[in-house]
Amino acid sequence: MAFTLAYHIILVPLGVALPLLTVVMEGIGLRRNDPVALRLARRWSVVMAVQFAVGAVTGTILSFEFGILWPRMMGRFGDAFGIGFGIEGWAFFLEAIFIGIYLYGWKRLPPKLHYRLGWVLPPSGVLGAFGVIIANSWMNTPAGFQLGPDGRPINVDVVGAIFTPALGYEFWHLIVALYMTASFMVASVYAVGWLRGRQDRYHRLGFTVPFTIGAVLAPIQFVIGDIATRAVFEGQPAKFAAMEITWKTQSHNPEWLGGVLQADGSVVLGLPIPSLDSLLAGFSSDTVVKGLSTFNSSDRPSVVDANFVHLSFDVMVGLGSIACLLTLWYAAAWIRHRDLPRSKWFFRGAALAGVGSYIAIEAGWITTEVGRQPWIVYNLMRVTDAVNPVDPTYIWIMFGTLLVVYAVIAFFFVTLLLRLSARWRVDDEGRRGDEDLAPEEAAPYGPRPA
Amino acid sequence: MTTLVSYGVAGALLLAVTAYSTAGGTDYGAGIWDLLAGRFRHTGEVRALIDHAMAPVWEANNVWLVFSAVICWTGFPLLYESVFLSLYPLFALALLALILRGAFFAFRKVATSGNSRLLASRVFGLSSLLAPFSFAAALGAIASGKVGVGGPVVPVWQACLDPLAIAFGAVALTATAFSGASFLVGDSRRYRASHGQGPDLVEYFRRRTVVAAVALLGVSLVVLLLIAAESPTVFRGMVAGLGLPFAITAVLAVLAVATLMWRRVYRWFRVLTVVGVGSFVFAWGFGQVPYVLPGRLTIQQAAGAPAIEALLLVITLVALLLVVPSLFLLYTLDQRSALES
Repeated sequence: MAFTLAYHIILVPLGVALPLLTVVMEGIGLRRNDPVALRLARRWSVVMAVQFAVGAVTGTILSFEFGILWPRMMGRFGDAFGIGFGIEGWAFFLEAIFIGIYLYGWKRLPPKLHYRLGWVLPPSGVLGAFGVIIANSWMNTPAGFQLGPDGRPINVDVVGAIFTPALGYEFWHLIVALYMTASFMVASVYAVGWLRGRQDRYHRLGFTVPFTIGAVLAPIQFVIGDIATRAVFEGQPAKFAAMEITWKTQSHNPEWLGGVLQADGSVVLGLPIPSLDSLLAGFSSDTVVKGLSTFNSSDRPSVVDANFVHLSFDVMVGLGSIACLLTLWYAAAWIRHRDLPRSKWFFRGAALAGVGSYIAIEAGWITTEVGRQPWIVYNLMRVTDAVNPVDPTYIWIMFGTLLVVYAVIAFFFVTLLLRLSARWRVDDEGRRGDEDLAPEEAAPYGPRPA
Repeated sequence: MTTLVSYGVAGALLLAVTAYSTAGGTDYGAGIWDLLAGRFRHTGEVRALIDHAMAPVWEANNVWLVFSAVICWTGFPLLYESVFLSLYPLFALALLALILRGAFFAFRKVATSGNSRLLASRVFGLSSLLAPFSFAAALGAIASGKVGVGGPVVPVWQACLDPLAIAFGAVALTATAFSGASFLVGDSRRYRASHGQGPDLVEYFRRRTVVAAVALLGVSLVVLLLIAAESPTVFRGMVAGLGLPFAITAVLAVLAVATLMWRRVYRWFRVLTVVGVGSFVFAWGFGQVPYVLPGRLTIQQAAGAPAIEALLLVITLVALLLVVPSLFLLYTLDQRSALES
């Protein structure tokens, strides 16, 4: 399950955020009457459709895995937990339809109308992510109901169940992360092209537009992430203790950079910064931070889990900081000579920013999910009580099959994108009659004109 | 009031299942004919037509499946838990088939060597059989009464391999073959109109529609007798209760399609196909009222929190208001392209 979710999340940034990039690019193309921008937008719309189709498959798998793997949780909390998915399902459907319209529409709709219809896509993507975050934040900070005698929720209050304490920060943190990731990912493709000497207008535009969006968001994300961490400190102290590998409850708690927690509570291989953790959590070095040893060992993440959470958290924050440095570089170059930075090292960094963002998203996901262990619904239900009580062999067979299947899907997806990109390059070099094959007709998968 | 809401949500659930059976079923049916095409002449043309017909549908059909799952766990958490604890192997199989189908459909298009294309076709075709069979078998197992509250009343494998489960699977296979063939008649007519040549696939699929219709009715009759033997409550609901009008409609609609095809009248057959297949699902669904698990769990007992159910209904209505016009726009654009080319 965790694996499927982690896999599905790879597809999410492009699914939610690529539409905005595409529509913005189309807007630029229309306003400046720029065929290069329009060509970029058309090609991005193809990538959007292909990956959306793959996302539809993994999303379907997910909705059934909830039942196959966690039937007990769904039986007890399906209503309070599941409503977000109701929103997500419809938003996804709407997005699917409009991606179809957008793709069909390139040739068949007046450009202005096509552009305006494209603006349906970004909000429906965001709405879908909102739905999923409702469900996830409910698992982290369940609210909006009372427990009945049989353990099932009664007196469910809809507003309370949707707008749980964690919803606000989780939502903004994720949305900004998705947009950052999609922007950096798209930009990195053109950064690689740039490094290989294809420094034309096509690559310049393909790099600048998404990278600017990502660069603006990076510092904002830094602030949101900071707020989110403090909220975790307040609302989910055991997770916070794991993130900071704090063993003993104490004030003047150090912030560990790196480091591995030992079973006896000591930390090796790390760099402690005295009192910084207390300072960050409560704006004063006197702030008391709860340690893992304060919790019952059956109610908190194990030492192994905690190390995993802590290192993931560090990776995420570290990558976020690097993104901010890139942003500074980019802004400085723009202010000084109104142009892209000239250094090759900048583009090397930018080329890695796409992959880096993905790693950061996965690390963030690990932080929030593993940090909640052993609970599936925080302080209410343990993972072990939620799972299907079948022979573990069966679960392992299932898992093995899934691994193979996902490897197959990944292989297709990557091959397909590489093929598309190779074909487009051939088109650009004029080795084949251009435009007789519109880009949206070239994809062998996903929606296409009948 | 809460009763009404619960029934509304149950209706939405049945609608989602039906939408998947008709829309997804047509898709699976095309896959089944793709598998069978190998034994006849014109194999290449048949596969080309199926490729052409299926392409714009892609994975949108899966959305109905996701809705069914979401409505089920949000509206009836207890039902969702019971069904999955009892029948998880069936769902695992269906999922596997679903993934392989999509992947190998795409793979077939990019495969270059004849062998790999043949392999892709086989996997695609076989998974087109397996997916609808497993999903329908799950419904059959529910109808048989083997799914108890919080788990199966017999060992899991026995619940999954119940005669009624297999019988429902058989109905699903004939029904998808039927609707697949019927829609392919329409597609080959359009294809011929636009290309103006090629072998006569209209005739090819016309005959197959008639055969599949007869098979569907025959299998359904056997299944009805099985239901009478295994699950009297559901049987009474289907022949004397709310399910009856739908059962009659289903038979009449399938007969009508067969007759139209027999006499080469190419009008209304697609609508009637959808009505026919949909009515089969409705006949079973309404036959079970007021139970979601026959004899064990009623709609009201399974219902989740009332406030959430009401919200779910509101979300569904609002979404329908947004989605229906958009679908209409998409359909119009699709048709316009057919006119242009």
